[in-house]
This record gives sequence, structure tokens and C-alpha cells, in this order.
Amino acid sequence: MPEAIEIQLKKGALELCVLALLSKHDSYAYEIASQLSDSIGMGEGTIYPLMRRLQADRLVETYLVESPAGPSRKYYRLTDAGKASFTSQKSAWSSFSGAVESILGGAK
Amino acid sequence: MTRQAFMARLREGLRGLPPAAQADIVADYENHFNEGAAAGRSEADVASGLGDPGRLARELRAEIGLKRWEEERSPAAGASAIFAVLGLGAIDILVLLPILMGVGSAIFGLAIADVAIFFAGGVVFAAGPFSGLPGGAGAAVLAGIGLMAGAASMGAVLAIITVGLVNALVWYGRLHYRLLKPALEPHVSGGLQ
Repeated sequence: MPEAIEIQLKKGALELCVLALLSKHDSYAYEIASQLSDSIGMGEGTIYPLMRRLQADRLVETYLVESPAGPSRKYYRLTDAGKASFTSQKSAWSSFSGAVESILGGAK
Repeated sequence: MTRQAFMARLREGLRGLPPAAQADIVADYENHFNEGAAAGRSEADVASGLGDPGRLARELRAEIGLKRWEEERSPAAGASAIFAVLGLGAIDILVLLPILMGVGSAIFGLAIADVAIFFAGGVVFAAGPFSGLPGGAGAAVLAGIGLMAGAASMGAVLAIITVGLVNALVWYGRLHYRLLKPALEPHVSGGLQ
């Protein structure tokens, strides 16, 4: 079931990807959703439960910015705890994916 | 699906949550439709990109229920956390259900027995001295106090076990929420092949 495996992999990586995007610059949910949806093909709606959880865990915080068109946008930025979590998750991911890569590289 | 139908089903699924949380969530998705419209996408396109509103509501509900249990250890919060986890409908949670029911009813039974022992202790304490039991009034009073104290400590142990069990279930539920249940609509992934 390659599809199932692919879905599981993406689900596991989703939080890490959101933290990575926010570590580059603050962003709002629609932008995060469309970037992730374009590049890793996730359902856009699921970004909202994830953002709520990150916020409840105090990894991100929000602030409002006036938008040129329409109502103000809710921007997310990483807290210090969020930055620390990103750093540790990133290194965990790197060592894990490096290990998998080296095994895959050896297999025909 | 139209924007109106999507929002109606989302609202339906969120019913019963704290009004502030509902308003917050609804505003998030309304914004998403606004942003989508501003980017020139059709309502149907945005709605299908968002995925199934019923499932999104279940995930949001689970997250809020689990958070509440972490913050306040009350029976109501525990019950809503359990229902939220079950609402996620992961198959292995359903497999777990009979075990959970067994353990739950065992604890319930013990709690009832505990209350009964406590009251029996009270009866011995109050009526014992006048019933002419062997050992005299003093023994009956002490036996009554002993039974009540024993029942109280058993009650405390039961409460600790119950809190531990709900914690374990919540941990299990969060594990699902993080790794297995949330992110992708199958049809999105299917389209990537």
C-alpha cells in the first residue's frame, strides 16, 4: 500500500514543515496552507487544527495585521519554545532521514 | 460543495464546544474562503481543498477536549476527553473499546462497593454500641471508624487509578492525533501518484 505509507510519512512531517515555514518568516494560515498544499500535497483544512494545537502548546503565538483588502489577518510567529522545538525536531528528522537514506542507498 | 454548505456542516460538527472556541474556528474557515476568493478561486475549489468539514470538526473537537483535560482534572473534562478520542474513530481505538468498557465497569463496581462499605461502617459506628455485640460498645465504635477509614482510602486509590487511566487514553489519543489521523485527504495524496 504505497499510498498509505506516503500519507503516514507526510502526516508525521507536517508539524515540522509548519515550524520550518514560520522559522523563515511569520505567516498567516491561508499562506501556510497553500504553500504546504502545493509542495507536499496535504488537505488545506487540516492546517487549522494543527495551528490551534501549536498555539495551545505555546509553540506559536498570533497577532493581527491590517490587510490591504478586507479584514485584518491573523499572523503566526514562533515563540522561544517553538524555536527550541523546531531545532530539536529538525535534528531528530535529519538523523532519522539520514539513516533511512543510507539504508535505501545500499539496496537495489 | 458550496461555502454555505461547508460552513453549515462545520458548525453542526462543532456544536457543544465552548462558544468562544466555535466562533474562533468558524472565523478561521470564513477567512480561508475570503482569502481563496481574493486569490480568484471558486467556492467549490476552496471547499474541496479544505477537505471533509465533519472530520475537521472531529479533529478540532478532540484537540479541545484533550487540552481541557490537561488543564482541569474534573470528571466532566475526563468524559469529554474520552468521547473526543473515541470520536476520532481510529480503528484500533474501537478495538480497545471493549477492554476500556470492562475496565471502566470494574472501576465503577468497585466505587459502588466502596460507598456501600463506607455506609456500612457508619451503621456499625452508630448502631453497634446499642446492639450488644461481643466486645462491647468501644469495639463497635472502633470497627465502624475502621471500616469508614478503609473505604475512604480505597476511594482515594480508585480516584488515582481512574485519573491514570484517562491520562493513558489521552496520551494514546494525542499520539493518534499527531501521527496518524490528522493531515491528509486520501484523494489529495491519490492525485499525486
